[in-house]
Amino acid sequence: MDVSMLLQFLANGVSVGLGYGLAAVGLALVFGILEQVNFAHGEIYMVGAFTLWFLGQSAGVPYWLGYPVMVVAMAAFGLLLAEVVFLPTLHRPFETVILATLAVSIILQNLVRLVFGATPLHIDSPLDGMTLELGGVLFFGQRIFVSVVAIVALAGLVAFLRRTETGRAMRAMAQNKDACLMVGIDIRRVTRITAAAGAALCALAAGAMAPMFDLYPNMGTDVVFKSFAVVIIGGMGNISGAMLAGLLLGVAESFASGMLGATYRDGVGFTLMIIMLLLRPQGIFGKSVRV
Amino acid sequence: MSAISPYFLHIGVMTGIFVLLAQSLNVMLGYSGLLSLATPAFFGMGAYASALLTLRLGWDSSLTLICASAVGALSGLALGVPSLRLSRHSFVIVTLSATLLLQLVASNWIGLTRGALGIADIPTVHLFGMPLAGKSAWLAFMAALSVVGVAATWLIVSSRLGRAMIAVRDNEPLAIAAGIDPLKIRLFAFACSGALAGLAGACYAHYLSFIDPGIFGFSISESLLVMVILGGAGTLWGPVAGAVIFTILPEALSMAPEVKSLLYGVLLLLIVLFMPQGMARWFGRQVAAGAGTGK
Repeated sequence: MDVSMLLQFLANGVSVGLGYGLAAVGLALVFGILEQVNFAHGEIYMVGAFTLWFLGQSAGVPYWLGYPVMVVAMAAFGLLLAEVVFLPTLHRPFETVILATLAVSIILQNLVRLVFGATPLHIDSPLDGMTLELGGVLFFGQRIFVSVVAIVALAGLVAFLRRTETGRAMRAMAQNKDACLMVGIDIRRVTRITAAAGAALCALAAGAMAPMFDLYPNMGTDVVFKSFAVVIIGGMGNISGAMLAGLLLGVAESFASGMLGATYRDGVGFTLMIIMLLLRPQGIFGKSVRV
Repeated sequence: MSAISPYFLHIGVMTGIFVLLAQSLNVMLGYSGLLSLATPAFFGMGAYASALLTLRLGWDSSLTLICASAVGALSGLALGVPSLRLSRHSFVIVTLSATLLLQLVASNWIGLTRGALGIADIPTVHLFGMPLAGKSAWLAFMAALSVVGVAATWLIVSSRLGRAMIAVRDNEPLAIAAGIDPLKIRLFAFACSGALAGLAGACYAHYLSFIDPGIFGFSISESLLVMVILGGAGTLWGPVAGAVIFTILPEALSMAPEVKSLLYGVLLLLIVLFMPQGMARWFGRQVAAGAGTGK
């Protein structure tokens, strides 16, 4: 196995890993700020991907237009999720939210199965087949696009959380909900914005990654499985932790499937998660540097 | 018994299996206050263990039923050691991930499980050398096992350990102050949950004579959550009623699997959102007690 092969694994792993990180950041955001686990997170990814497919196939909308439209639609879906699940359960035990989001995930999965059937679908992207060769390593167009979207979205998120009034309110809520009430922060508004932002981030990942994989109704399960692993490895609710853990998972998976075989790829996330839980249950970074 | 159609007998047997599974979840969710999504994992472990021991090693199936239960209990312990030390959020995630991982293993360890092809021709259960032939014999057997399962649950929760389990659920700091080790009690609960589900899995494997990795699927958790939560988690008979109603109902309405799951999803959402008193009865007391160690 020569060096260019290893570099190829690394390049593939980094691009997919950034995508995983982006998908998981939405989950980490909702957990960090609302202290709620969103089990419907994978279904946001799945519905986003199917929406993009539907826009392209049935309405003939080109990828570059369909992608932002889909992200906006999924942000609106995040708002709906806030109204239906997060807001009515603000003062309830967290199991309520887990069960409610699980229920939403069951509903969405089966609705999509009823509407689209179980045959895998495929999204065409204008970047398909575009490659760039640098020093014997192939960089695929779609993979470069995923990396760029992930980095830009994360930078945007960090700037939003640090620089804007709303972002500060979100960070305040992550620290202390009761104190937020005392200084007059509208908790319900922050909850809505957080849910919408979490869904939009996940939809960004879905739109960029979907052309690389087949679409099927329970694809969300795989996404949420990996996102959970990422969030636990990076520290529950830790945003930069989630991004780095996503990167780590992508690279580890790429090497595992390249060197051991593709069947080992999907077990990597769980193995890393269990090791992390045994050695350091709070994750690599813990919650101290949450945002 | 021969007057009853085989279809009704089949539903009866499945009801018995789901009674055991519902009690497995009930021990965790109802009596220990921990939302565990690992019941299908123990169910699948029990099914594969019993099927493989019978087919590969030629063990007698009355012995493998006990082994399946033990395998379920050991799986509960093995999963409990890393997961029960976590915050209760992470616990839910890890139990779900473990189930998905076992499904991956069952699909990919072709040499042992034949992967997606599944294991076929699993012989029926032999009791004292007598094979359980026919569905009516199976119904009698499962009815007896359900009674045993419910009785075992009652014995567990009314024992000293069971009272400690409920004490930890209701007020963890107070339980610790009374000298109870919450981790040990929860491990015990997880092992009991695993044993019940493992037994159910073995019955399922020998009854249907075929299993595949789909047995680890989330759809079982989906049905169980509706059965246990709507029936009444933390009560002895509520989950039994839930298991009976929600095994028979989809069959009676002859629903497609997607429609059934959709209905369960809607039902689960409605119960969780609009029966707050019910939910508060099961979970409310823990809010004051705070979450596990990792939070």
